[in-house]
Amino acid sequence: MKYILLMAGTKAGVETYHAWSKKDIDGHMAVLFSLNRELTDSGEFVATQGLAGPQDAKVVRGLKNGLPVTDGVFPESKEFLLGYWIVDVKSPERAYEIAGQISAAPGPGGVPTNMPIEVRQFASHGPKS
Amino acid sequence: MKYMLMMNTMKAGPEGITAWAKQDIEAHIAYMLDLNKDLTASGEFVSAEGLTFPDQARLVRAGKDGIPITDGVFPESKEFLAGYWIVDAATPERAYAIAARASAAPGPGGAPLNMGIEVRPIMSLPPKSS
Repeated sequence: MKYILLMAGTKAGVETYHAWSKKDIDGHMAVLFSLNRELTDSGEFVATQGLAGPQDAKVVRGLKNGLPVTDGVFPESKEFLLGYWIVDVKSPERAYEIAGQISAAPGPGGVPTNMPIEVRQFASHGPKS
Repeated sequence: MKYMLMMNTMKAGPEGITAWAKQDIEAHIAYMLDLNKDLTASGEFVSAEGLTFPDQARLVRAGKDGIPITDGVFPESKEFLAGYWIVDAATPERAYAIAARASAAPGPGGAPLNMGIEVRPIMSLPPKSS
């Protein structure tokens, strides 16, 4: 069963993160890298990516002539996706456990951020190539 | 350059695909499969997935002891991710053009949905720890 674990945040939250000390950022990333290694070893790792900030984001709609209409304005208050993990696990509980480990990654002073991670299962009949 | 194209929707909105006629759903999926085939042919396809509905989603936080705390309640009003594409496009404009094609996927009666597709560049590398 494939799950995507979504880490979302707001602009204010990201600015807070950028204000962390180098040591705190390093500690946070080290835990996440180590989790990726563990998931690779257990054969559960599929993919992970961080996304660039909302300043580079666009919302696109198609017009009748098929031309894209881009909207550069991304609401300040909107939650946006920071990054994700795709894992292939035996049970939903295992997906929640991994999400719990991500949530427990340390923040300033080594205190767990406990940030919420959205866990979503892939649709088996989703649009596939 | 890699981009993630995200299709967000509301559970109870007019874009709620589960309420559509079977024929409309099939035309919609066929359109999306066509798009994926074209992106594969152009070498821009990286991956695409549809996600299950929010009734199967959980919001997880770590407790103090590292045990996951799952929250089964997913707000009705919250926008949720219905699916995504990762494409490797030469320019942002090309990524927007692909997003526009996804946006124009047919809905009920074959009318284009023109739903908003969020386009986000993927970071080339996450910040490395020293």
